[in-house]
Amino acid sequence: MADAQPLRVQDRLAFLLALVPYLLDNDGVSVAQAAAHFGVPEQRIRDAVELIAMSGVPGETKAYQPNDLFDIDWDRFEQRDEIAITHQVAIDDSPRFSAREAAALIAGLQYVAALPANADRETVARLTAKLTRSANGAPAAVAVAAGADTRLGLIREAVAAGTVLVFDYLNGRDEREERSVEPLRVESVDESWYLRAWDRSRRALRTFRLDRMRDVRTAPDTPAERPEDIELPERIFQPSKQDRSVTIEVAAAALPLLADFLGERPQTEPARRGWVRTRLRIAHLHGLKRLAAGRAGLLVVVEPEDARRAVHDWAVAGLARYEDPSTR
Amino acid sequence: MPAAVSNEERLFSLVLALLATETGLTKADILSSVQGYRQRYRPNGGNASLERQFERDKEDIRDLGVPLESIELPADQGAVQYTRYRIPKGEYDLPADVTFTPQEIALLDLAALAWREGSLSGESRRALLKLRSLGIESEEPLIGFAPRLRARDAAFDPLRAAIEHRHVVVFGYLKPGEDRVRKRRVAPLALVQFGGRWHVHGVDLGARARRTFLLSRIAGAVEETAEGFETPDGEPAEEALDGLTAVFAANRALLELQPDTDAAARLGSRGEPAAEGRVAVHYTDLALFADDVAAFGPEVLVLEPQELVDAVRERLAAVVAAHGGDRG
Repeated sequence: MADAQPLRVQDRLAFLLALVPYLLDNDGVSVAQAAAHFGVPEQRIRDAVELIAMSGVPGETKAYQPNDLFDIDWDRFEQRDEIAITHQVAIDDSPRFSAREAAALIAGLQYVAALPANADRETVARLTAKLTRSANGAPAAVAVAAGADTRLGLIREAVAAGTVLVFDYLNGRDEREERSVEPLRVESVDESWYLRAWDRSRRALRTFRLDRMRDVRTAPDTPAERPEDIELPERIFQPSKQDRSVTIEVAAAALPLLADFLGERPQTEPARRGWVRTRLRIAHLHGLKRLAAGRAGLLVVVEPEDARRAVHDWAVAGLARYEDPSTR
Repeated sequence: MPAAVSNEERLFSLVLALLATETGLTKADILSSVQGYRQRYRPNGGNASLERQFERDKEDIRDLGVPLESIELPADQGAVQYTRYRIPKGEYDLPADVTFTPQEIALLDLAALAWREGSLSGESRRALLKLRSLGIESEEPLIGFAPRLRARDAAFDPLRAAIEHRHVVVFGYLKPGEDRVRKRRVAPLALVQFGGRWHVHGVDLGARARRTFLLSRIAGAVEETAEGFETPDGEPAEEALDGLTAVFAANRALLELQPDTDAAARLGSRGEPAAEGRVAVHYTDLALFADDVAAFGPEVLVLEPQELVDAVRERLAAVVAAHGGDRG
């Protein structure tokens, strides 16, 4: 049992070590307030406070005498749900960051700082220096060069203000059409940017790639139409009932790089040496032909026949542009 | 039999006990007196499993960035060597002069959220706890904005660990154009993401020169050796990014894009207009860019450089061959 989920035990320990100095600095804070500050359920705060109040150091007698333990105002805690530490031992300050924690924050900082209206280079440099000084050990150098999409500023403002956005969109079937959406969230995955929004004409949630948008503009006075109880699923791409399944073979080494399409742990069966066979759900063949043509030597569509044929024809058409002198 | 002490309480008690001691505690002191150990301690020996528990707990605590020291004391007249353990408070506490403004907290929140998936997500979560511990409220809640960084390459974690430990690594690397994986011995200095892809920068000990490797080309496991190295002066992450930026600027492709296609939308927004309606697009890695271009099939015609033309044609031909014929 001691070995079970060591990460989660570490997280719990980190929580206790973070909570004690906060409680000392915020004498009499309510459970609700502390929970909101740490972004955890109230019960988690209560459990932690009870554990802290019973903990301490062995002390000179090595018997955990009352004076060697934390103590709280129990009446206040039990009757008013407020936390006041009345006796403290051993810790009073926030812990330092580990080298890895600092490295993660510094790299994340560089990434978000490249986005419009976030921060300038000076702020990033200043924070990097602070984090480095606050870390126990030199952070591993992890850096990110991020490129921002020019459309991002306007779209982000529209999300914050809840303004309707209108733009020309090239959809996955290569058709351009005007879309009118209620923007909900801007998300990114490394270099790619997405807008998740309520599509007013389709009356459904949709995900749009920023780099397929053109002529983005706001329609400020348009009232919102979406249902109030709408909730954004965590995953950007949602499978749909109309999706169809195709069988593909993938070079085993390339599997992790296809996690966006196949999920983290796809079901596979062995194929020829070094390759596995698996199934992929797709909305239409337009996306599949691009996926396969961009992974020569790593991914082969096996069946159904029309899917294999679509990839074949796409690559043939691509080659033809080099072979036919009239297209040059 | 006393009520079982939770893992969380044992680890918390160990941290408190080691922070409270100036001179350090011996392993026997700890096992016999600290909450969570003492309940299971047998004064007459036979504490092997408890000792193993202590070893694991030490690692878990150090992993959080807590400076748990072991002090080796000279052996007493040939008797058993004593090791004493402690956590020096001065190195545990966040330096008193490190503070963050509400704007900085908001930016760091976003930086930590960027890692909500994968290898550095645990670190980011714990770093956020430590930030919360300071009691500073974030400036504005970050609604509707969710940047996300990922490190899916299997090589990422072992390389990050080796950079932290300053240990030489050995890995197989498949250079484009070569059909054989070659072993590289590298003193790793930094991990950098450029163009949405992770690279490791370091000293290639075989070539005796600084090199930057793409993580996606590392074949098989990264092996961390016991061999250490001196970190050279300078900022390796910045140098690596500068190097990649220079390569990016020097590599320029001239493309003809079919209007109103996916290629025109995506490559068009990455590139700059050139003569005769063509588009100039920069890239860092010819083989990877050729994959990207091949995915667009007939929507792109590469005009120069010739190596890129050849690479794209080769890929398309391979896709045709792999998907060709009537298999009936």
